[in-house]
Order: sequence, then C-alpha cells, then structure tokens
Amino acid sequence: MTTALTPSMLLQRERELIRRGVDRCPLPQFLMWTAPWFALLVFGCYAAWLCLSQGLFHTNMDNQYAFGLWIFLDLAVIALGAGAFFTGFLLYVARKQEMKAVINSAVVIGLVCYSGAVAVLMVDVGQPLRAWFTFWHPNVHSMLTEVTFCITAYLTVLLIEYLPVALKNRKLCRVTRYAVFEYELHRLMVVFALLGAFLSFFHQGSLGGLYGVLRGRPFAFREGFGIWPSTFFLFIVSAAAVGPSFIALTTWITEKLSGHRLVEGRVYDTLARISGKILLVYVALKAADTLVWMNATAPARGFAARGFYETQPFGTWILLAEIGVFGLLPGWLLVSRRARASRAVLLCGAALACAGVALNRFVMTIQTLALPTLPFERPAQYWPSWQEAGTFLAVIAFGVLVYSFSFRYLTLFPQERELAFGGEKE
Amino acid sequence: MFPWVYGFEWTAGRIVFLGIFFSVLLVMFLTVAFVFLKSAVHFRTGRAYFIQWKSLFHELPRASRACRHALTGHLPGRVCEGAFECRECSKHGELLEQGREAAIGAGAEEIMGMTVPLDRYYHRGHCWVKPLKKGLVAVGLDELGRRLVGRPDAVETPPPGTWLVANSTAFWVKRNGTAVRVLAPVDGEVIAAGGPSDDWILKVRPPAPLDTRHLLRGDEVRAWYRREVERLELIAGRADGAPALADGGELCADLGEAFPERWDAVCGEMLLDT
Repeated sequence: MTTALTPSMLLQRERELIRRGVDRCPLPQFLMWTAPWFALLVFGCYAAWLCLSQGLFHTNMDNQYAFGLWIFLDLAVIALGAGAFFTGFLLYVARKQEMKAVINSAVVIGLVCYSGAVAVLMVDVGQPLRAWFTFWHPNVHSMLTEVTFCITAYLTVLLIEYLPVALKNRKLCRVTRYAVFEYELHRLMVVFALLGAFLSFFHQGSLGGLYGVLRGRPFAFREGFGIWPSTFFLFIVSAAAVGPSFIALTTWITEKLSGHRLVEGRVYDTLARISGKILLVYVALKAADTLVWMNATAPARGFAARGFYETQPFGTWILLAEIGVFGLLPGWLLVSRRARASRAVLLCGAALACAGVALNRFVMTIQTLALPTLPFERPAQYWPSWQEAGTFLAVIAFGVLVYSFSFRYLTLFPQERELAFGGEKE
Repeated sequence: MFPWVYGFEWTAGRIVFLGIFFSVLLVMFLTVAFVFLKSAVHFRTGRAYFIQWKSLFHELPRASRACRHALTGHLPGRVCEGAFECRECSKHGELLEQGREAAIGAGAEEIMGMTVPLDRYYHRGHCWVKPLKKGLVAVGLDELGRRLVGRPDAVETPPPGTWLVANSTAFWVKRNGTAVRVLAPVDGEVIAAGGPSDDWILKVRPPAPLDTRHLLRGDEVRAWYRREVERLELIAGRADGAPALADGGELCADLGEAFPERWDAVCGEMLLDT
C-alpha cells in the first residue's frame, strides 16, 4: 500500500534536499520566482525551434550582416563566464584560498554561460543535423574551428567540474558511492583547472582573432604576432579582467535576492583587486593597440581611422566610452583601496567593467559589420527579429533557472552557513 | 578528424591542432578514469565510509571542527583537518608521546546543568562508548544529545550483524518527518539494539583490542561539553532569529519542543550531520 503524498509531505521532502543550516524561501515562493523565467524559456525555445526547423529567414541577418545579436551574446557571455576558468586558476594553481568561497558559484556561472553560448551557436549555424561536420571535417586554418573545439572541450570540463558541486547535494552526498567519487574528483580538480585555463586561453583568444583576421573589414583587422592578431590577446586579457568582476556582481545580486550574506567581505576585495589590476593592463594594451591601428594598420590599407567614426551612431564617443568610462574608470575604482572600501563603489566598478566588455564585443560584432568597406556602400542596418530576441532571452532565462536551482539545492557558497554563525574573520 | 575521413591531410597544422585536441580529451578521460579507479580501491580496502565522512567533515563550520587539543588549551585555535580521526593524526601522536593524554575518569559530573558520566568515552557526534564485559561496548546518546533529540518519533537502528564503521551512520533519529543521522563512535558488529527504557541504543562488538584513541575522555569531555553548549547557544540563537545569551538557566529536556520548526537544523548541526 502506498501513502498518498500530501502537500505538507512534499514540502518536507523538498526541504530535505536543501543544505542543512542554510535558509531558503518556501517552495511556493521559489516556484513563483522561477515561473516567469520558465515562461521566457518556453517562448525562447519556440523562437529557436522556428529558426531550426524552418530556417534562418526568421532572423534579420543577411549576407552582409552575418553576425548579429546571437554572436554578440556568445561573445559577451563567454567573456563574462571567464570567471569560471580564472577563479579555478586562482584557487587551484595560484593557491588563492579566498577563491574557495566563490569557486562553486563560478563553475555554475561558467557552465551556464558556455552551455548557453553553445546552444545559441547551434541555432545560429542553422544546420543542427550537420553540427558535427565541424568536428569531422575540421578546417584547421579557421579561428572558428579552434573556437568550436575549445568551447566544446571546455564545456565538457565545466560539466565535470559541476559534478562534485552537484554530488554535494544533501541527499546525494549520503550515498557513499557518490561521496567517494566526489571526494576523489575534487582532489584532482587542479587538472581540470589547468585544462580550463588552457582551453579558455585559446578560445577567448580565437574569438578575438576571428575579427582581427578579417582583411575585408579594416575596422576590425589588426596586425599581430605570428598567426595571431592583437585582438587575440586583447580578448584573453579582457575576459580574465571581467571574469572576477562578474563573479563579485552575481554574488552580490544573489546576496540581495536571498537576503543572506554569502561570502566574507575580503572575498569581494580580492576579486575586485585582481579584476582591477588586469583591467588596467587591458586598458593600456587596448589604448596602444588602438594607436597602432589608427596610425599604421588602417592607413596602410588605405583608410583614415577617423572615417570609421563618421557613421552614426558609432561616433568617437563609443571608443572613448570603451577606454575611459568602461575601462580606466572601473580599473581605478577596483584597484584603489579607498574606493574599494565602499561596497557600492566596488560593485559599481565591477558593473562598469562587465558593461565594458559587453560594449567591446558589441563594437567588434555589430559596429564592425555595420561600417561600409567600399566607397559606394551605405552603412548596413540591422535590428534583431523577435525570434532572435526570443532565443537571446531564452539563454538568459536558462542561466537564471540553472543558477537559481543550483543555489537552492547545492552549496554554491560554502561560507554561507558559517557566516550565519557570525563567524567572519577579517 | 581522422586519417580515414574524407578531406584529411597529413599537414603540420592539422597534426598539431588535432594532436592538442586529442591530448586534451585524453587527459580528461584518464583523469576521470583514475577517479573511478581510486573510488573502487577505497571500496575494496574498506575506506569508503571514512572517505565519505572526510568529504562531509569539511562541510562543517569551523566552530564544529575544533581540535580536541584546542578544547583543552594545549593547541589554542587549532581546527581539525583530519575528520576527527585522531588515530591517523601525527600531532595527536606527538602530544600523546609528551604525556598529554587525558585519563578516563570515574563517576559523573554536573556540567552546565547536565549529568556527564566520566567513566566512558565520548565521540564528537554526542555518542558515548562504554566498555562492557565479553569485549562488547554500549553506545548511547550523551545527555546533551538526548536533550537535542528529545522525544523522537522513531529511532532507526541497524539490525544485529551490521558492521559499523566509525564516523559512518550508527542510527537515525526521526522527528516531525525529518531524520538526523547519528555517527558511529567505533567500528564493530552490532549485537543488539536497546529499547526505549534502556540508556544505551546499540551494543557493539568492536575488534579487539578496543581502539579509543579518537574518543574524548576525562578533562577533554569537560572542556568539550562547555564548548558544545556555547555552540548550541549560537545555533539556537540563529534558529530563533536573534542571538541568544546565556542567562544562567539550564537547557530544557527537549530542545525539539523549543525549536519545532528548526529541530532538524539545530539537531543536525550539533550531531555533525551535514
């Protein structure tokens, strides 16, 4: 005879999945929070299905505007998701023990960003049944092939890194087999951290290199070192710079939404300091690269750099904003000890840094393709279709849902329970 | 991708690119395979339960992981990293060689309003171990543990013949639809389970001679008990939504009644069940 599952029993069983000693909102409240995101996900999946089943005519991309909202999204989330590999690198290789407090969250963010990026790429390629061709018949001279291989491999690494986090669930960790596997896997996490750093280095770089080698697009084309244009290195450095900022930002948002302290104050400080230092290096490199491009690369190809900024709305303001407002300013805010001392200023710096990398990816994707390259061409116009926007929103919804469920049922912030004791040591 | 696939050419670029890719895949595969292998070895050598406990132990808050020598003041502030497995701890061995071993006492003592018999050994999960005749030991919940558990709906004990491993599950205490695991203080075979009127819960036959190096005794118990009551005040204060201060009163007999909603959290944390 089976006992009927009453609502109170269901709530009780659900409660038993949540880590002991941490507070989470009641299940109905949690479901209310997830409902709109689920709705958005369903809507986005429908939009993606239209593109996959009927073709890319549902998008507003064409032969001139082959990269649109999706590629911008890919580039932005992959840069923001760099916090996963960089935090792993800092913890397991550079032995920054403070990173323990956010490593699980960073892994989930990385997983969300990369799985979202891969999903959107599948839709963007538009031939899901032939997606495997890129592996089976690789064009090893293409930056995109490198990106595809690295992202796929890194997504596998992230899934493996997510396993120990998932197996630490209150119910799962009581199964001896899972607990032992988790323990041993965790001990070898340094291998995956190194693999992640290696793969991220190349695919972040290749994404930048992809634009740098566009000889037909002098706004993006750059000289470089060997086979790698300067954008290859700029993308790596910028991703490493904003990764920690994005981790700090998401941690703070989670703290506000959950109403609990999740990490010690010094964790924010360390993330901000590292992010700020790398950001300043990036700004210096970016400024030098822009000067070389303005004075050597573009003129050598018969273009005056100022001409690229005569097409509205892409005036010089966008360059100044990228380097100044979203580069130098957050870099200084994050590096300065006095500025960092204020949590609001620190988070403002982190938000500006994240917005800056998104702007950079926007410039590289949208502005590059919008600018005319021949004298008789007019600036290209592009506005995403609702199917493109829907797919974009589905990725955001997917990310929020995966993170929300992970936060509820897994230990994303190991210090949370200890902080509830009032155990901060600073 | 492979030499037999249409379009493959033996060029340097292809060999380098695919070589790196396959190396990455190989490293991933070998690492995961090694983890599986290592896990299997732990099961074969009987260390799986200890590994499980070790994994869970590091989830405990620092306050719950204080070293026994920190409690007595010999190593102030030291936090245990060895899952309370003093039998494998070199520092504990060193201190024993220096003659810092606490001796088992006799009789009982009132500590913070609770009667604590000193003629037995204590596990950090609030179980005691009392040697009996014929190589058996009795295992029961100490006074603080009993007050934490209060009047449970059920105590789920393992059937006779079950082999217990120290720090794995000894028995479950169920109340209000939730269950809290009580850790086994010693290795051994379960001989009998006690009834509601018994002060012991299990009778166990441990391997001879009885190894109690990881268990607290004598002076250590006094210091640990005081610390545990402080820890309980902190946890209970948090459960109640406000910090609780000691007011000189005694702990009530059934803490489950004081925190019906948070019994699981309070009891679980005190009994080291993550």
